[in-house]
Amino acid sequence: MLKVDHLSIEIGGKQIVDKSSFFVPRGKITSIIGESGSGKSMTVSALLGILPPGAKATGKAVFNGKNLIAVSDKEMGEIRKAHLFTIFQDAANSFNSSVKMRHQLYEFSGRRTGDSSQQFQMKMKAILDELGLSAEIVEQYPFELSGGMLQRCMIACALYVEPDLLIADEPTSALDMVLQQEFIGLLKRLNEKQGTTILLITHDLDIVAEAAHEMIVMRQGEVVETGNVMTVFERPEHPYTRRLLESRF
Amino acid sequence: MTVKWIGKRMVMGMIVLLIVSFLSFFIMHAAPGDPAAAFYGGNAQTLNAAEKERISRVFSLDRPVIAQYGTWLAETVKGNFGVSYKEGRPVSTILFERLPNTLLLFGVTMFFIIVGSIWLGTAAGMKAGSVWDKGLSTVSIVTSSIPAFWLGILFISFFAVNLGILPSSGSGDIGDEGGFWDKLRYLIMPATVIILTHVGIYARFLQESIKVESRNYYVTVARANGIAERVIRKGILRNASIPYLNYIGMTIPSFFGGSIIVESLFSWAGLGQLTVKSVITKDFPLLMGGILLTGLIVVVSLFVIDLIMYVVNPRLRKGDVR
Repeated sequence: MLKVDHLSIEIGGKQIVDKSSFFVPRGKITSIIGESGSGKSMTVSALLGILPPGAKATGKAVFNGKNLIAVSDKEMGEIRKAHLFTIFQDAANSFNSSVKMRHQLYEFSGRRTGDSSQQFQMKMKAILDELGLSAEIVEQYPFELSGGMLQRCMIACALYVEPDLLIADEPTSALDMVLQQEFIGLLKRLNEKQGTTILLITHDLDIVAEAAHEMIVMRQGEVVETGNVMTVFERPEHPYTRRLLESRF
Repeated sequence: MTVKWIGKRMVMGMIVLLIVSFLSFFIMHAAPGDPAAAFYGGNAQTLNAAEKERISRVFSLDRPVIAQYGTWLAETVKGNFGVSYKEGRPVSTILFERLPNTLLLFGVTMFFIIVGSIWLGTAAGMKAGSVWDKGLSTVSIVTSSIPAFWLGILFISFFAVNLGILPSSGSGDIGDEGGFWDKLRYLIMPATVIILTHVGIYARFLQESIKVESRNYYVTVARANGIAERVIRKGILRNASIPYLNYIGMTIPSFFGGSIIVESLFSWAGLGQLTVKSVITKDFPLLMGGILLTGLIVVVSLFVIDLIMYVVNPRLRKGDVR
């Protein structure tokens, strides 16, 4: 699905990510785990073509036969629209505060799939219902909803568009424990029911253990270990992974 | 909710006008010089003390200032602005002769400043690091540093004296009833001076708000999820317009202050020029009328801006103070 090969990211001469290589298999939940500053969020930015100004990415990241690092802005835009969906950490700030949820949810979902406004309303209503959100939230503004509700709105859009690859960048770190559990459950359901490939970025081993099939361990800009979650948990090879696992209990 | 909000704004506007009138009344009376003498202008030396006293008594100038203010306020509330010392005509008549000119100048300049600054500011703000971006940052400093009166003098010397294509001063041909085109000829120079000295700084403000807004989290999220650039820009512009509108609101009073100078320079028969003239002649009723009417225009403009903000910013409507 996604094959990253020798991806390096540099900001102002400083190496943020150093020749990292990993593979995200289709239909699985793959997790990138690492402490803050390990370069996992930067890796996501590079994959999505949203690196901050001054940052430069080299290497390859082949997704559906296209190298995400080298494609033009226009092509990248089309790939993002047609194949990817990304949920970010800070749901409370992921929406424009002065625009009604209806318009924003439509732009994030119905507009991408080319549905009319009516089709969108029907389909979104069903999804929101399923996620335990009242249909009235579409008439509200983001600042009237809680962070947990907004994160569920994001996942509602992911459920709606059924992307080839869902990227979730620390989606639960702004949520409390109960909402975290619930959110991970939703991700798993998305993966099991719709077969969505998910790339889950986290710093929380519990989430990896709970949700992921494959894992990638990053440390100081380098990929130190990759493999099946069960295997890595049982027989960690890199000392850092071992330390990480020990600190869990 | 909305009715309550509008009501609150109106009460606040009235309080502002009350404070403005109170302060200007007292400052006016604290200024040196004898209004009774000013009333006689050039012949003031010929007045003896008894005559001065008589004039003061006739115009109630010998009463305490606070009592004078009370009387003035009571009459003004009834719609009676009094009679001009100098012209002997009702102040309201004189004000209404001047009002259209001021509204015309204010309306035309404000329109072009807003349209121009939105256009320039958006072009510059949306493309950070572009020629537009850097160009506007420089040009706005230059244009806003140029004093309006100096630019006005340059304009008069160039367009009226050297080229002779525009009238140097006034607001209409003498003896002419003044058609639209005639008025326009007189309007060009004062309006251009005000627009040129203001548009840059307003554009710069919008440019910065757009740049700040573009760095927001939701913009990255939207872009990463393939949302059309057009939609993203619309959202940015909407949010960036809130501080921009605030800025316009804050600067409207000083904008009027600046236009008084320009009106005087070009002898544009507006309220600003009238106010300056009545200060010189110590024509208290006319001065108070002029100040109050200018204050009213400012308050109404601020009210309109608040109203636009109320529509644009849902947080205001929802009473959210976060």
